[in-house]
Amino acid sequence: MSPPKSDAQVAFDKYVVPELEVLYRTARSLTRNTADAEDLVQDTLLRAFRAIERFDGRYPRAWLMTIMRNANINRVRKKTPDLLDDPEMTFERSVDFAETEGPEETVVEPVFDSVVTAAFATLSPDFRQVVELVDLNALSYQEAADVIGVPVGTVMSRLHRARKRIRERIGEEGLESSGAFRAGEPS
Amino acid sequence: MMRMFRRRKGMSCDQVMEVLQSYLDGETDTETARNVASHLDVCDDCGPESSVYVNIKKSLAAQREDVDPEILETLRNFTDRMVRGEID
Repeated sequence: MSPPKSDAQVAFDKYVVPELEVLYRTARSLTRNTADAEDLVQDTLLRAFRAIERFDGRYPRAWLMTIMRNANINRVRKKTPDLLDDPEMTFERSVDFAETEGPEETVVEPVFDSVVTAAFATLSPDFRQVVELVDLNALSYQEAADVIGVPVGTVMSRLHRARKRIRERIGEEGLESSGAFRAGEPS
Repeated sequence: MMRMFRRRKGMSCDQVMEVLQSYLDGETDTETARNVASHLDVCDDCGPESSVYVNIKKSLAAQREDVDPEILETLRNFTDRMVRGEID
C-alpha cells in the first residue's frame, strides 16, 4: 500500500500534471528541439514542485508559463554563455516550423492552406512565436505573455499584426471567398 | 456618409474590426462578444471578413503536431519520481 500523499503532491497532481502536454508543446515552441523541450519541461517541473506550496491555486497554466520562461532564460544562458542573452534568438536560428507538416484534422482547401503556411513562414520570429503559442498551442493571451515575458498588449499587437499579414496574402491570392465557403458561411 | 451607412446597431464596422481578433480568440468580455456576434450576423462586410480570419485560425491550428505519447509518458514518469523524492 502506497503512503498517503503530501499536500504538495496533491497540489502538484491537481494543478501541474494536467498541464504536461501544454508544457511540452510550449517548450517545443521555445526550443525548436525535442530533446531540449523535454529538458525544459523537466526543469520547469522541478521548479514548480519546489514552489508548489507557495502557489495559491489561481491560474496554474499562467503560473507554469512564468516558471518555464525563467527556466528557458537560464537554459539559453547556460547553452550560450557568450551570447548576451535573448532567448528569442533561438527562434532566429530555429528550424522553420512551416517546413514540417502536421496532421490534417480539418477539411481544408489545399491552396488556402498553402498560402497561410507560406505567409506564416515569412513572419518575423517575434510574430511567428505568438501565432504558434496562441493559434497552434492554444494558449491565452495572458499565458503567451507570461511565457514570452512581455505585456499582454504586446502579444495582442504582434498576433493581430501577424494575422493581418497572413490575411493580406490571402487577399493577394483572391482566396477570401474560398475561405468563406470552407467555413460553411454564406457567400 | 459611408461610415454612417455602415454603422449597425451597437457597434460600427470599425469598432468590430478593432476587436474582431480578440473576439475570435475568446478574449473579449461577454457583452462585447454579444455585440460583435450581433453585428457579424447582419453585416455583409464584417461577416465574410470574420470568416476569413476564422479560416486562417483553422488553417494554422491544423499545423499543430501531435505530441509523441512516449514523451508524455516519460514526463509523467519523471513527475512521479520527482514527487516521490527520487529526483532533486
